Amino acid sequence: MTTEAAPDMTPRELLATEFVLGLLEGEELLRARAMLARDPEFAEEVARWEDRCAPLLDSFPPANPHEEVWSRIFSATSGDVEDQSAQIVSLAKARDRWRMMTGLATAAAAALAVVVMVGPGAEKSTPIAPVTEDQPLLAANIPIGDTPLRLALTYVPGRDELSVSSAGLTADGVHDHELWLVDRQGDLHSLGVIVPGEEARFAVPDGLADEFVDGSQLVLTREPLGGKPADADAGPVVAQGQFQAI
Amino acid sequence: MDKSPAKQARDALSADIAALAGGEHDALRRIYEATSAKLFGICLRILGDEKEAEDALQDVYIDLWKRADRFDTSRASPISWLATMARNRAVDRLRAGGKVRSGAVSEEAAFDVPDKDIAADEKLVLDERDARIHHCLSKLEKRQQSAIRRAFLGGATYVQLAEKDDVPLSTIKSRVHRGLAKLKKCIEKP
Repeated sequence: MTTEAAPDMTPRELLATEFVLGLLEGEELLRARAMLARDPEFAEEVARWEDRCAPLLDSFPPANPHEEVWSRIFSATSGDVEDQSAQIVSLAKARDRWRMMTGLATAAAAALAVVVMVGPGAEKSTPIAPVTEDQPLLAANIPIGDTPLRLALTYVPGRDELSVSSAGLTADGVHDHELWLVDRQGDLHSLGVIVPGEEARFAVPDGLADEFVDGSQLVLTREPLGGKPADADAGPVVAQGQFQAI
Repeated sequence: MDKSPAKQARDALSADIAALAGGEHDALRRIYEATSAKLFGICLRILGDEKEAEDALQDVYIDLWKRADRFDTSRASPISWLATMARNRAVDRLRAGGKVRSGAVSEEAAFDVPDKDIAADEKLVLDERDARIHHCLSKLEKRQQSAIRRAFLGGATYVQLAEKDDVPLSTIKSRVHRGLAKLKKCIEKP
């Protein structure tokens, strides 16, 4: 929390300004990111202060990057389109294999073990290998507070679905927990509300698949039953972790 | 019809971002030509390393390619939006590399703001409203200015500012809060 609102600034505006200036860390930063994703007024305040502060960057003199930078950008952005069709067949195969194998998995540990089995190390010579080398399977194992419990997540590229296991978790009847992906801009995207003690599949929102990469940050917040209300800020962060390529 | 060169440049840039959002890949090249020197200058000064700065710059344009549809045309300026993206990306890299404490942008560099030389890139020249932040920041107490500049231009957080200045966190927060309140008042003065 910020210590106190500055005179003539609402707490919301102060937080937005602190966020734009990059002063925040830890829970305050996550709170600001959650508000940015869910609170239009806060997002507007952030945009206003970004526009206000951006001219300070004009004090930095322009400089020319090497020409190869454009070549790298060009191939990275053109490649998206060209590679897609080439990968569709392989992705479909990976997806079918994944469906078949995860059908057997009933618990988090089992699901994780299956993912490890079909990971790039074990499958170099199969048709799915080229896909998994570029876009590895991702897993995250998030400890919940001081408990021995963990949230186990797995994501297969091209599948647009996230497998979430919360084995051992129990509902307290008062709160739900909502899972968020923090994108590379720092924005939060809700992935869904955790169903305690169950294996669940969350559909990945449109356009978010690109953000599922090695190192993507994940945050779990405590919310009222049903998840964060549309007109409220996200609740406190109770756990966080990140995806790792496996 | 009587548009200033700055307004024309902004409109062209906004149109290119809209075209990019519509999937026109050529628009990315035009945006790169118009803005890369400015954005690279930002990355370079924040990161203090050419290779790191080029990697950050590359990330900025790849992000732009993916997220051009997120540009809100009602915002004051497309170049402000892009400059902020570049600043944020560079600071992310700085923090990931653990370089903030050593401070790629020194306090002296953060103070090196020659107001009258702002328009280095003529095509994207700022208007008077934009320049207000320079004026208003210069009206703050030296320590308030310093903290705000080191945060925005040097990537320092509250915790790092407190450590560097060897003062309690609450002191640095109060200092910044007072500075921001004054800054807001000055910027919003009619």
